[in-house]
Amino acid sequence: MTEATKIASQASSSDPKVGLRAVAALRRLVEQLETLQVTNARDLGWSWQEIARELNVSKQAVHKKHAGRRFLPGR
Amino acid sequence: MFEHFTERARGAVVFAQEEALDLHHHHIDTEHLLLGLLRESTSVGHKALDRLGVRLDDVRSEVVRVVGEGHPVTLDEEDARALRIIGIDLDEVRRRVEETFGEGALDRIASARRRRGRRRACGPTVGSMPFTSRAKKVLELALRESKALRHDYIGTEHILLGLVREREGLAAGMLAERHVSDERVRTVVSELLSGN
Repeated sequence: MTEATKIASQASSSDPKVGLRAVAALRRLVEQLETLQVTNARDLGWSWQEIARELNVSKQAVHKKHAGRRFLPGR
Repeated sequence: MFEHFTERARGAVVFAQEEALDLHHHHIDTEHLLLGLLRESTSVGHKALDRLGVRLDDVRSEVVRVVGEGHPVTLDEEDARALRIIGIDLDEVRRRVEETFGEGALDRIASARRRRGRRRACGPTVGSMPFTSRAKKVLELALRESKALRHDYIGTEHILLGLVREREGLAAGMLAERHVSDERVRTVVSELLSGN
């Protein structure tokens, strides 16, 4: 990184607007990656329990968030 | 599932989906069905809710307060710039994800989610958005109401009764808080149907 771009990025990273935007974008990116990874794990036959352990959340939490989305209960 | 629905009942379900989309929710839940009824303004269900003092704006803001708004799924150029400033190269993330999951994987998540929903969902779906099990219960109760009343259609009034009788979802809770009981709905609906 050149001195000029370093200064530019330091200047912008102190701007709350940019910093907050980055946080919001990061959150969305995390959601996308989570969906992608959970879907993939389910397709590979992982249980909700196993997925929850890796994500460090409760089985209920991961199930509630992702299960209904793709694996709707039958009627 | 929707073959016996009246045009307005279908309209309410379509509005329910719109409400869910606008809130960036991924399912049609009971609260979206209630919002759908409130949007279908010439329907018996809407008129009954109106007489009972239930208002669209009020319900919608409660839904936003309780459930929150989801996040829009896509990341734009400005997001990429902001991420770069904190040291995350979105293009690089995208490239690596695509290496593993195929081209456009990150950007296709929303549509992939919808495709999967259509393929695996066993219950009814509107277009591409699935119903939660509670919302499905509401529609089943609506069907039951219609049968019990010996009607040969499912109208917005039956959906409203379904929402009240489901009891566990957010819509049932909001209606109960507003003192909209099973009995009051029946009274108002029969008044409306007899032209009073």
